[in-house]
Amino acid sequence: MLRRLNEKERFTPFLLLGPALLLMLLIVAYPLFQALRLSLFDASLLRPDRARFVGLTNYLNVLRDPLFLRSLLNSAIWVVGCVTLQFTIGMLGALLLNREFPGRGLVRGLSLIPWATSGVLVSLMWTWMLDGNYGVINDILVRLGLISQYRPWLALPISLGGVIAANVWQGAPFFAVMLLAAMQSVPQELYEAARIDGAGRFQQFRSVTIPLIMPTIVITTMLRIVWTANYMDLVFVMTGGGPGNASIILPVLSYITAYKKLKVGEATAMAVLQAILLIITLFVYLRLVNRKGEGGLSLYEV
Amino acid sequence: MRKSSVALTVVALVVFLLASTAAAKTRVTYWLWLDDPTDTTVQELVEEFNRLHPDIEVVTETIPLANYYDQLLMAISGGGGPDAARFKDWWLGAFYDADLLEDLSPYIANWPGADDVVPNLWNTGMIPGVDGVFMLPHQYITFYLYYRADWFAEAGLNPPRTFDEFLEAALKLTDPANNRYGFGLRGGAGGQDQWLAFMVAGGARIVDEAGNIVINSPKAVEVNQWYIDLYRKHQVAPPSAPTDAYAQVVGAFQAGNTAMMAHHVGSSVMMTDVFGDNVGVLPIPVADPENPATMGTMSGNVVFSTSDVKDAAFKFISWLSEHEAMDKWSKSRQGQLPVLQSVAEQDYYTQNEFFRVSLEGGNYAIVWPPLPGTGYVASYVWQNTMQRALLGEITSQQMLDEIAQALREGN
Repeated sequence: MLRRLNEKERFTPFLLLGPALLLMLLIVAYPLFQALRLSLFDASLLRPDRARFVGLTNYLNVLRDPLFLRSLLNSAIWVVGCVTLQFTIGMLGALLLNREFPGRGLVRGLSLIPWATSGVLVSLMWTWMLDGNYGVINDILVRLGLISQYRPWLALPISLGGVIAANVWQGAPFFAVMLLAAMQSVPQELYEAARIDGAGRFQQFRSVTIPLIMPTIVITTMLRIVWTANYMDLVFVMTGGGPGNASIILPVLSYITAYKKLKVGEATAMAVLQAILLIITLFVYLRLVNRKGEGGLSLYEV
Repeated sequence: MRKSSVALTVVALVVFLLASTAAAKTRVTYWLWLDDPTDTTVQELVEEFNRLHPDIEVVTETIPLANYYDQLLMAISGGGGPDAARFKDWWLGAFYDADLLEDLSPYIANWPGADDVVPNLWNTGMIPGVDGVFMLPHQYITFYLYYRADWFAEAGLNPPRTFDEFLEAALKLTDPANNRYGFGLRGGAGGQDQWLAFMVAGGARIVDEAGNIVINSPKAVEVNQWYIDLYRKHQVAPPSAPTDAYAQVVGAFQAGNTAMMAHHVGSSVMMTDVFGDNVGVLPIPVADPENPATMGTMSGNVVFSTSDVKDAAFKFISWLSEHEAMDKWSKSRQGQLPVLQSVAEQDYYTQNEFFRVSLEGGNYAIVWPPLPGTGYVASYVWQNTMQRALLGEITSQQMLDEIAQALREGN
């Protein structure tokens, strides 16, 4: 029979959780609350003491701004483009690395180098590789006969493509390593059983590998979506959102609004809107995965 | 017994604290950026100042120019920040608007060095329609044109003095098949200064004499169109021009991809190291030789109104603008043009072609006016609109309308 907890025992768990809760409140909840509050003020970085309460005006201004909508669209292209390509290349990489070949350990280690390289360094490397006057990518493309003349990739309206290329290079190893780890935990007996049932290579991949690494796919993709949406280093250093507004994404616009336009309130409103949109995106994504997931993956597993 | 010993300790502490404050030096914090962070000249100057002024201790903090405006804003708006700082004319308007700059004129009235400053340079620290000087002139630059003397000689061209000669030379020296272009147009970060040099050389102005914003006047639209056409119509600039920043423009010039580029004396040593006699220097070509103009920008020193050691702060920044300190700074690797006549007269400056052309430009240089939005335009709006204009998304008029509005409103 269960005994009722006495007063002191009931209090103990809260006491033990206390320090962690307090810390969470201080470093997560407080800035979050401050950001929400700031987004309701007309605040300039020069004189924050002269901030004026303006209600939802910042939000209305932001939503009416064509540049915000353009950034939103660019952000969508940026996230979908980066994550899809990173996932595809990462998956191919993982399948390759999952096979036995001499020097596999070395290749596996080396393939992580792009992931470990800092964003600013990646930006500078790719800026010079994509350079319109003497970039190596132009040289290769001309030699392959794919283009006849050097192109200033980052000065074209499609400059975001160049930045996506850099991000894919940097992020694909993350997927490769995570998916590889998941693949290696799939029991070999399942493949044997599948072979006995007459499954070919592709069927094994589709019916054994994919369902079993699904939780990893879901969580890594979700993490990447969040990171990529908030990741502005590459765009900021490589194009600054340009030429013009060709490659502007939300975090860059929010930065410019805060530190160049000095409108902190409006910039915070943008950041809040982005956070809300991101949450909705993730929610929809999880719903889609749940409906499709053959094993019926639930939110709790993630 | 115990009580009395506590009391004694307290008394001793109070006496000690009082004594130490009396003997303490006035501490002045000074922020600056360095064009060459490995150069120790400034540190030596600060040490010398501290040695000569035992009652003042200047403490410096160096911040890269790229983050300087942001960081200064953050620090000052957070209630902290330095007492004095190295400062650009671009930022005067916004900081003045927020009441953050101290009027230096009462201090300047008692400063013996004031008479030695090139008279028209005081303007760079003043706000139109306001009495007072908010930035003490220190080091400045004016834009000029580098050209490949060897290529010009080969093609039988004279160095260009006018817009027409400039365009003619640029067209002749452009050969896309060999990846060679006439002019290294800078559409990326920092390109606003060379743009303004060509704008004023063409006869456009940002503000008229009464202080009205006229950067979107028909004249300015016309000159801006001429500048845009260098890229769009005549294609004498590399295809990468819309996003080229300093590194790309210098890189292309040194790699032999461009025949001319605009910059200032800060790169002259590097250019002569690379090219020797093959690089020449010219004033920015003008539309009308009767009315020469170029762009200048002042890096001066300010004292913040938030400081409580303003006297000591001014003592330090004015000392930096006196003959010996200025001479030392100007001759260092940070060196730009000295604002003191007594320094600029020396052979060191008058015998050097790069300095000579720059100092000549000082007589008719026009600076960015201290409007509320100058910092915003210089750090963002110009680049954004220029790139859109170079891509053909907006017209010259639309570009200048946007710039005019940003200058006026500050956002």
